[in-house]
Amino acid sequence: MAEDFARQIESHRGYLLRVAQLQLRDRDSAEDVVQDTLLAALSGSGFAGKSSLKTWLTGILKHKIVDAIRRKQREPTVVSAFGDLEPELDIEDFDALFKDNGAWETKPADWGDPEASLGRREFFDVMDFCLEKLPPNTARVFMMREVMELESDEICTELAITANNLWVILYRARMALRECLEKNWFEGKGRHA
Amino acid sequence: MIRRALGHLLRCKDVSRLVSQAQDRPLTRWERWVLRMHLSVCDGCTRFDAHLRFLRRAMHRYRD
Repeated sequence: MAEDFARQIESHRGYLLRVAQLQLRDRDSAEDVVQDTLLAALSGSGFAGKSSLKTWLTGILKHKIVDAIRRKQREPTVVSAFGDLEPELDIEDFDALFKDNGAWETKPADWGDPEASLGRREFFDVMDFCLEKLPPNTARVFMMREVMELESDEICTELAITANNLWVILYRARMALRECLEKNWFEGKGRHA
Repeated sequence: MIRRALGHLLRCKDVSRLVSQAQDRPLTRWERWVLRMHLSVCDGCTRFDAHLRFLRRAMHRYRD
């Protein structure tokens, strides 16, 4: 029985590692937090079966990642790693998407019935591809907001950035992801394959 | 005519930022109003708004 539970938990390692790596951008720390998560899951009796095992594990991982980010923040060398957010804050590169008068250069396309894509494994492969293409810190901030569902002010405190900077980063992430999904899924062959 | 004018108080470029920020902070009354006016006359931004809402649902599904 316990062995069974351990095996089930273990089967989510790959997924947890992917989330952690996108978040921490460092293989070693990602493996550390996933290991901590699996150990915590095995030793704790918190799983009540109300949510799926995966959701429960993601919840534990979320706390481990926040702890890891906090720890990193205290190490002066790594604080400077967030110094390179600056180039990612340059919003002007999206100007190409708009005409001089501020109208869309190319209007967002009709995605038809996008909900149907949520049931497709291939859709999430494209999503992975698009997330990987984001600048590292942009992806990290986006994951904090959308996967870990931290509130704006929590993220600002964690990363010591202003709310305005946060909004710019999230805007940038969404613009890039929207375009990438449109190109590679909704208008590409992916959806119809 | 008037609706069209009100709808263009903001440019698509600014509206796209507002649509994104709506997912991260409560918009002010004024912002909500000009946004609604703009969306009622602009199909590009209406799609953009729908796409960002979908993106959020997709990320939640990605996690679960």
